[in-house]
Amino acid sequence: MTRFSVRPAVALLVGAVFFVPLYLVLANVFKRGELIAKEPASLPLPPTLANIHAVLTRPDGLFWVSLTNSIVVTVLSILVLTVLSAMLGHYLARSGKRWTKVLTLVLLAGLMIPPQVILIPITDVLRVTHLMATLQGLILFNVGYYVPFGVFVFTGFIRGVPVELEEAALLDGASRMQVFWRVVFPLLRPATASVLIFLGVWIWNDFIDPLIILGPSQGTTITTGIYRSIGQYQADLGSVFALMFLATLPVLIFYLALQKQFVKGLTGGATKG
Amino acid sequence: MGEGGLTSLTAVAAPPAPPSTVVRRRRRRRPVLPRLAHFASFGAPGVLVYLCFVMAPILISFGYSLTNYNPFHPPVKFVGFDNYRLLFTDSQFLTALQVTTILTLIVVIVPNVLGLGVALLLDRKGWLYNALRSVFFTPVILSSVVVSIVWSRLLDDRGPLNSLLRDLGVSHPPGWLSDPDVALYSVASIVCWQMLGFCVVVYLAGLQGVPPELLEAAEIDGAGPLRRFRAVTWPLLAPSLTINTVVLLISAFKTYDYVKVITNGGPGSGATATIAFDVLQTGFDSNHVGYASAMAVLMLVIVALVTTVVLNFLRRREVDL
Repeated sequence: MTRFSVRPAVALLVGAVFFVPLYLVLANVFKRGELIAKEPASLPLPPTLANIHAVLTRPDGLFWVSLTNSIVVTVLSILVLTVLSAMLGHYLARSGKRWTKVLTLVLLAGLMIPPQVILIPITDVLRVTHLMATLQGLILFNVGYYVPFGVFVFTGFIRGVPVELEEAALLDGASRMQVFWRVVFPLLRPATASVLIFLGVWIWNDFIDPLIILGPSQGTTITTGIYRSIGQYQADLGSVFALMFLATLPVLIFYLALQKQFVKGLTGGATKG
Repeated sequence: MGEGGLTSLTAVAAPPAPPSTVVRRRRRRRPVLPRLAHFASFGAPGVLVYLCFVMAPILISFGYSLTNYNPFHPPVKFVGFDNYRLLFTDSQFLTALQVTTILTLIVVIVPNVLGLGVALLLDRKGWLYNALRSVFFTPVILSSVVVSIVWSRLLDDRGPLNSLLRDLGVSHPPGWLSDPDVALYSVASIVCWQMLGFCVVVYLAGLQGVPPELLEAAEIDGAGPLRRFRAVTWPLLAPSLTINTVVLLISAFKTYDYVKVITNGGPGSGATATIAFDVLQTGFDSNHVGYASAMAVLMLVIVALVTTVVLNFLRRREVDL
């Protein structure tokens, strides 16, 4: 009998301890700057929007510039990634050739390559092609680096789509492209959701790649913007906390709106294994 | 975090091989040209970008690693495997290797163990448990930069944790991030905090796959809760353990963001400098591109070897059941 009353109490306690750092951010976003250093753990009473206001109206526009860059990079990267990896997934799932097995293995290896191994030469590759320190360069790098993940999600799903469906549409005179985009792709919605969610969050949160590829002064995404602002404005903690909060808000809303698909996508592998 | 790249591994691992007759039939029906066209239109774009931005750079990295390349000190000279030989006598690299090993061990074990515990605790229906799942999962979707900044405030020498400890009567609370003997464990704990929710969610999904009939049957046979866990639940969680371990392993090896933001490799001479951190430091700040590339290639080999061995070991355990 006791087990039934102990469990929620223990769960709540563990959750509360775990939550402390998150509380610290939330509380300090709405607290005046001098209070943050003095009593960081107190409740933000009365709450103030001064920090958020300060970040949004900074004269250098750091927040808006970073936000725009992050949105452009994230949206373009995940759109191109979805198209390229869905099509490559189709090729791998439908082609019976022996060398597709080799290709699959080569792509599988891509899932564990640390970015550090490619970042040094990639700066040379991008410099030669005049893409260094540009958003296009960062997007192309993202596409190459994350294509293995997309391919593996899509390949698994396309194998579950009956090939007869495609053959019937081909006999009706549709081209391969039409068959894929009109017949197969709409059936891959769960895979597409997984790919968009995961890659969206990863690319939005990415730090090291924009830091190196966009270079030290050429522009910031939201994460590198936060990183630079702690160096420059160490004293203004209120702004740093507000910037972190605003940078996280889109991902948080995205997550809360798509929670079901999120967890399903994350655990799809675990339960099917 | 960005490192859950292997979650879909098991889902895709073993496609059923089509019967050979089907393959032959299809082969005869489709002439060569459309196959080539299929590759050219569907396969080639993705493969091309992957080759240009991942595979080619790896080969270039290997090329660089055989030279003394430094963009500010030409000319470039071929030095063979000297860089690799040098690595094994370089105390800075050996320290980084040790730091990475300790960090990886902690990050693979702690979130796995605690994650299983929390998942067992939360494996109930109801709004409270749903809300707590979200609490544990939230750090997973935060940028590691945000996590790093929050925690470095919390663990600062004059931060809230130490003032709490002082209020409780500890006159010299530890320098969580400033003491070289402690800093690595602080950084590892922060990584664990962020990864915990991932393990919780994967274990919760695994627990949902345990058939209640099996647990009831075991109970009727007289097995207590511990015995039921050991004999029924735990073996059925094998795939979840595999996913968590591999994901944690790979993300621990790549640890860079936390080190860069929280300690910048310090305190002291590289108390928290991982190999991933050292590679970029040597390559971009000191401009020893050749040497850094050797380090990066060695890192890749270590990651590949360890991951393959661990994956095989855990997979075999799954099959044995």
